[in-house]
Amino acid sequence: MPSFAIFKAKWFWYSTLCVLSWGAWALLSKLGSNEIPAETMQFIFTFGALPVAVVLLVARRFKLEKSPKGISYAVANGVLSGIGGLAFFAAFRSNANTAVVASATSLYPMITVVLAVTILRERLTWVQVVGLGFAAAAIVIFSFSV
Amino acid sequence: MHLPPWFWYAAVVLITWGVVGILQKLSTNYISAESSLIWLVVGFFLLQPLLYPGRAVFAYSARSLTWAVLSGVFNALGAWALFAAMKSGGKASIVGPFTALYPLVVVLIAPILLHESITLLQGAGVACALVAVVLLST
Repeated sequence: MPSFAIFKAKWFWYSTLCVLSWGAWALLSKLGSNEIPAETMQFIFTFGALPVAVVLLVARRFKLEKSPKGISYAVANGVLSGIGGLAFFAAFRSNANTAVVASATSLYPMITVVLAVTILRERLTWVQVVGLGFAAAAIVIFSFSV
Repeated sequence: MHLPPWFWYAAVVLITWGVVGILQKLSTNYISAESSLIWLVVGFFLLQPLLYPGRAVFAYSARSLTWAVLSGVFNALGAWALFAAMKSGGKASIVGPFTALYPLVVVLIAPILLHESITLLQGAGVACALVAVVLLST
């Protein structure tokens, strides 16, 4: 008998919402990039992200932690995410296949894992090593199939 | 071997968002996930003066502008849902790989919505990428 307990878990529905939202984000990025250049896409995209940040700010009653280190990392995070976003929109604008671009760009945890090992001295699990192998295979396949 | 422009743009995405993964980890060592998202949007706004399109923005169709705004809304909504999943008892080792499956939505919907098809080789690449992302997110 399969267990359906997972459907009663809140985290499952939040995770599903995340998958659907990010799927919609990638598709909308393609639709917008057909006409709008990458720089303008990123400019307008930022105004779309603003309401969610405001809702979170209100939910926290405007109380944010005052850790300069934490804030610096998070702001740098935003700047780099934005630069990556520019390249993301530019990739969609270059008439490449949407599913291929979405899949290829979703491989970024590969770099995170490699950096975590080299900079943060974290250890790789065997599952992650196999994952790196699949990521390498995907990149090689994409480079031959273009 | 000649690689098309999208391949190089994708490489920039991989490197920048790969570093973002480390910064995210470092920032949440000091501040909450919600605060991280709020400051991340502040970081987005630091780039705005460099990206300001001026009046040229009004030359684009209302439809494309709507897609661009909605892409921002859905990106941030997805990030919020990820935090909410973690907060409501979801294990990072399960929520991470689960949410990394978002390209699957694109793979399933792009042929219907955008009338695009992928070659068998590209399909194999997409499958490898999806498996890789799930394994790497554990």
